Amino acid sequence: MLRDEVNILVIEDVSSMRTQIRMILKSFGFRKITLCENAAEGVRLMDAEQFNLILCDWHLGSDISGLDFLKFVREHPTFKDVGFIMVTAESTRESVIEAIRSGVDDYLIKPLTLEQIESKVYGVLMKKRVLQ
Amino acid sequence: MSDFDLKLRDFIDELGGFAKTAENTLAEIEKDLLGNKHKFSVFFERMVAIRGTAQQLNLPDVARIAQLGEEISVKAATAETRAQIRKCVGSLWDALTTIKYLLEHYTEKTTEEQEILVNRLDATLRAMGGARPSVNAAEIDELLKQRR
Repeated sequence: MLRDEVNILVIEDVSSMRTQIRMILKSFGFRKITLCENAAEGVRLMDAEQFNLILCDWHLGSDISGLDFLKFVREHPTFKDVGFIMVTAESTRESVIEAIRSGVDDYLIKPLTLEQIESKVYGVLMKKRVLQ
Repeated sequence: MSDFDLKLRDFIDELGGFAKTAENTLAEIEKDLLGNKHKFSVFFERMVAIRGTAQQLNLPDVARIAQLGEEISVKAATAETRAQIRKCVGSLWDALTTIKYLLEHYTEKTTEEQEILVNRLDATLRAMGGARPSVNAAEIDELLKQRR
């Protein structure tokens, strides 16, 4: 798959962060980027189209956290293999271990840098064989 | 105003909205310290959002105080006495007031009063058992490798 064919879902409750993540992803050549602010909307979007990668905040300011959403994705028969990167300021040891146990592919800690996003996004897309 | 300044202003306005939510939550908790202590989770969530965005904006003073606010609200949610909760609420009001000030005056340097506040928040947190252990990006990578 080419970079501009990769379909990415970004779930982040802070609108200015969402916009910034999209700008960064676009600068890497990704074109199909869908933004939403909570997990419920994420589920609805995933039902409607197939994504190759999810970048999801942990604290979404709603009833469903990023961790709950990760668990939902990993237990879902259709979505379970989608690449999942947790994007968060949450870095307590306990939380990170819980996310890893729940099947997160990688973890991005805020503040986000271009290099960090590039390395993690490409790493997961290569591992999932979305990009060759 | 440059494009960058306008974007920064948007970020800061959004953070101000989070601070307002946190303020309303604290006011609710104050009405019934024991009965409403579950609402510290709302305060915690907003502090995490403020910290993450402040780190992204390179506003370290805001991020530091928000982090202390996060940790104190975690302790407050499990505190068993009204006195402990009251102490936490007092600290959280101080933290929030300072965050709001710093967001409005983000170009100003840190004052001695802010340093004193940070020390006071640190002391409150230590008295409640200290911050939860955290890991940095390199340690997270190591944990991920161990899983693989």
